[in-house]
Amino acid sequence: MTTQTTTTTQPNPVKNNDIILRTIGLTKHFGKLEAVKNLNLELRRGEVFGFLGPNGAGKSTTVGMILGLVAPTAGSIELFGRKRDGNSWPLLRRVGAIIEEPAFYPYLSGWDNLEALARAIGGIPRSKITEVLERVNLLDRARDRYDHYSMGMKQRLGIASTLLRDPELIILDEPTSGLDPAGTKEVRDLIPQLAHESRAVFLCSHLLHEVELVCDRVAIIKQGVMIANAPVHELVTQGQLLQIKVDDTAQASNILKSLPWIKSVKVEDGYLIVDAPKDSASRVNKALAEHNIFASELTSRNVSLESVFLQLTGGESGD
Amino acid sequence: MIRLIGAELFKLRKRLMTRVLLYVLIGILIILYLLLLAVSKVVIPEHGPRVMGEIQNLLGLPMAIPFALSILSSFGSVLSVILLASSMGNEYNWRTIRTVLICSESRFKLLGAKLISAGILVFFGLLIGVIAGFIMSLLTTAIGGYAFNFDFVTGSYLWDQFLQFWRTYFVLMPYVLLGFLFSVVGRSAMPGISLGIGIFFLESIITTFMVLAGGWIAHVPDYLLYFNVRAITAMAGLPEEFAAGMAASGVSIRLPSPEHAFITLAIYSVAFVVLAFYLFRKRDVTV
Repeated sequence: MTTQTTTTTQPNPVKNNDIILRTIGLTKHFGKLEAVKNLNLELRRGEVFGFLGPNGAGKSTTVGMILGLVAPTAGSIELFGRKRDGNSWPLLRRVGAIIEEPAFYPYLSGWDNLEALARAIGGIPRSKITEVLERVNLLDRARDRYDHYSMGMKQRLGIASTLLRDPELIILDEPTSGLDPAGTKEVRDLIPQLAHESRAVFLCSHLLHEVELVCDRVAIIKQGVMIANAPVHELVTQGQLLQIKVDDTAQASNILKSLPWIKSVKVEDGYLIVDAPKDSASRVNKALAEHNIFASELTSRNVSLESVFLQLTGGESGD
Repeated sequence: MIRLIGAELFKLRKRLMTRVLLYVLIGILIILYLLLLAVSKVVIPEHGPRVMGEIQNLLGLPMAIPFALSILSSFGSVLSVILLASSMGNEYNWRTIRTVLICSESRFKLLGAKLISAGILVFFGLLIGVIAGFIMSLLTTAIGGYAFNFDFVTGSYLWDQFLQFWRTYFVLMPYVLLGFLFSVVGRSAMPGISLGIGIFFLESIITTFMVLAGGWIAHVPDYLLYFNVRAITAMAGLPEEFAAGMAASGVSIRLPSPEHAFITLAIYSVAFVVLAFYLFRKRDVTV
């Protein structure tokens, strides 16, 4: 996949940092089920925003509401500073999206699929189709039928389709699903690059490591309720894991568990793994020393987004 | 809207099924003409020379267009239902409905574009069917050794055929739109195709029983599709023996007036379209 910018038309020049997407009290009920509850989000230009949650948390419903596929029960959505109302095409035309998985016509080639979309959107020259296919490294297979594509090629065609209209907001739902490691890296490299082109990227992914690498900010949703919304670096630096080697792990574990500021203690491979506030290694060491337990090793491990996610969602698998 | 119609025509044109449906239509016309030609050469004593004469009339050039349109009004309905129901329903089956919707100005326009583009293809299908019927008539006239005579081509003849063409187009619509509605309701091509075609065939059987039942039930078919379609196709003036359904099966029926038929079919067509648009616009797209 080429990494250099080849777009012929740049998105509208709007000052950086302006809000591209805002949801206010967004709520959706399916009968008695509250799929999304009072969701407030903001996404700024140039930002890569990770939207995480376990299966059935309400992510796809939220994306559906943003794109006008699902009618909100309550709340409102603003795109590019304007409230989305009845005629939202002028706003939605500036949004590119893949939802859950790319879906195209199996009997058409990759090129023809993009041409069908380009005709529907309007104002897209054929050179743009060439350009986006080249950008996702699919130009040489553009004339093959879509149903002969591998999953990775389908994903890349999906990304190409989102770029057709030079969107200012790109919504990607699991964009690396089915990609091989090289393809995953290419997409991972592409995402921040897209954001740097004065766009905003709204990324739903269950690959938390990937999200941690590419996202500036993350929101975590569980059972329709947003339980975290912060810059990635803030989330992962809220705490730290300490790995401690002592002779008597059982006694040390009991001592640390009795301390109110310690979140959790567990034993792994003879080491104590302690979830403690940031910069608390010396306090932990002192607490053990007061009970004549001396650490032979004490190392700090940063908390990953994955552990934050699992902690916040109660260990449910992400999606 | 024009953009969306262009996109829909592009997809339909590229689809193998569209061409297959057209080949089937032409194939049916060819087979029917060849069968009639074969029958016209066989003496069937109990039916006598009158029926033989009518078959030869059908094969003749003056009846080529009305006969082709008569065939198209029945088989064309089936093929058009498949075309339109699959055009809509497969968007759900292939899960492309969301991809298409986020590239469309509005749901209303998308559905409108689908209807118009399929309507354009049905128009060309009918036109090609008529041309194929005329060519087959020329061939059977030549093969059968009948006389070539073009005296029948007058202004009033052409006007009649022009009207019959649009009447045939019109009677296709209720079944096609019914199939379209069910593909929207069922979010799949299959309900649209099966119910659209199923009702097309079942209704003729059910209405036969209704007529046989007598009393007020016998009048119910006047307000269903089949009798009204028959009332309009009967305006082609084909011999009774070759009109489909009960006339051929010997059941005596009284068809509604053409005006009644036009109004009834128009009401059904509008109702099916309105319901399809209402449901499509109102429902969340979560597939």
